[in-house]
Amino acid sequence: MKSRTSFSLFLAVALFATGCATAPVKPSTPAPSPAPANSPKAAVAVADGKSVKSADDDLDEYDADLVADPLEPLNRATFWLNHGLYMFVFKPISKTYEAIIPKPVRTGIHNAFENVKFPVRVVNDGLQGNFKRAGLETGRFLVNTTAGVGGIGRPADHIPTLADVPAGDTGQTFAKWGIGHGAYLVLPILGPSSLRDTVGLAGDYALNPVSWVTIWYGGYAWTLAIPSTNTLRAMPDQLGIYEAATKNALDRYLAARASYIQYRRKVASK
Amino acid sequence: MNPRPIILLLVLLALPFGAASAATAEAEKHLQAAVGEVLAAGDAARDNESLVASLRPILQRHISFDTMTRRAVGPGWRQFAADQQQQAARLFTTLIIRTYAGKFTPGEHATIKFNPATEPAPGRIEVPTTLVYKGSKYSVIYRLEEAEGWKITDVVIEGVSMVANYRAQFDAEFKKGGASAVVGALNQSVEHPK
Repeated sequence: MKSRTSFSLFLAVALFATGCATAPVKPSTPAPSPAPANSPKAAVAVADGKSVKSADDDLDEYDADLVADPLEPLNRATFWLNHGLYMFVFKPISKTYEAIIPKPVRTGIHNAFENVKFPVRVVNDGLQGNFKRAGLETGRFLVNTTAGVGGIGRPADHIPTLADVPAGDTGQTFAKWGIGHGAYLVLPILGPSSLRDTVGLAGDYALNPVSWVTIWYGGYAWTLAIPSTNTLRAMPDQLGIYEAATKNALDRYLAARASYIQYRRKVASK
Repeated sequence: MNPRPIILLLVLLALPFGAASAATAEAEKHLQAAVGEVLAAGDAARDNESLVASLRPILQRHISFDTMTRRAVGPGWRQFAADQQQQAARLFTTLIIRTYAGKFTPGEHATIKFNPATEPAPGRIEVPTTLVYKGSKYSVIYRLEEAEGWKITDVVIEGVSMVANYRAQFDAEFKKGGASAVVGALNQSVEHPK
């Protein structure tokens, strides 16, 4: 990562020096002007209720439409069904789980399931051509699996090079290949997604050893225990994220959509 | 292609070489003071209601709620009458404070690591931070602008901008019924928290 940064810096300086630096900076960035958008003068103009052109050049800084949503009516219906499910079924289950299982045990279970998802991360790092990250991910997996006793602990967090390895996923790989969301899609139970990320989820599912249990030994009752525990351990976090994103919203559906698209953009940039 | 080097390149090109440091240091100092005050309030709060009350004056000192409101509304802001603008800003301030306070759980302490700031445009600073809270790490970027001192104009948590989150919602209301629909919807959210 460091080498990439310094390469960019080198490139920037080189372009600057040769006078080719015509690349436009983010179009929404206002040009330096004697009266910045939020200078006292601008504030007075706004308080007067008169629009002064130079004062609200910055009004269009944020995009209102982050993603195409041709299926909005269907998506909204699914969204509200999910909302009911989350609040009246999942939340009580999740609260019970948190009440019964002590925090250190929950953390251990959570860590172990995250650790076992290693193939999802390493395969996607490879598909993205990021072999350095695949190597770090492998190091992390080995340390956590051995010293962390099957991934229950996360000793790799204390090794600086292994502490912050961004997690790869299949939707992220598609994004890095230049594939867009296509359209926003709300999946039953699973929630916000897109056409691209739904295919990505299928990839993640196939790469997750937790699903291999179901695929290979399906039909045996005990196999239900592992995926169920996996669902249960993820619930408190997922519900927390959902509530944080949609609480205090004017329209929960739009808040969840905007949050999801921005979050995935961030994941794709990692 | 990996978009990251290109974004970096654009950011670097936007930097007036060498000039950034003084403004950056000033903004960072402001932000660190603000965050310190917020964390102290977070540690002292017994419940969410008392936290909202103690955070309000702190956030009002450090956040430019007017800027946030204008940008969340977008170009439609020009069609707001003066009193509608004031009302919208007042209501949105309450919502933002509630949202912000809602992210704290009383009794849990947050630690924040400040990373080197960037200057995406003159008079604008972005400070990336790493927040460690309840055993998880989050990326939180503070956007600051200079107007009577440095003020926070957006908080971006894991890529999700507070302003951008409301932008689509305000836009939908504005298309339905203009400024009065936006103010009405804001009023509804403030009066009847969901």
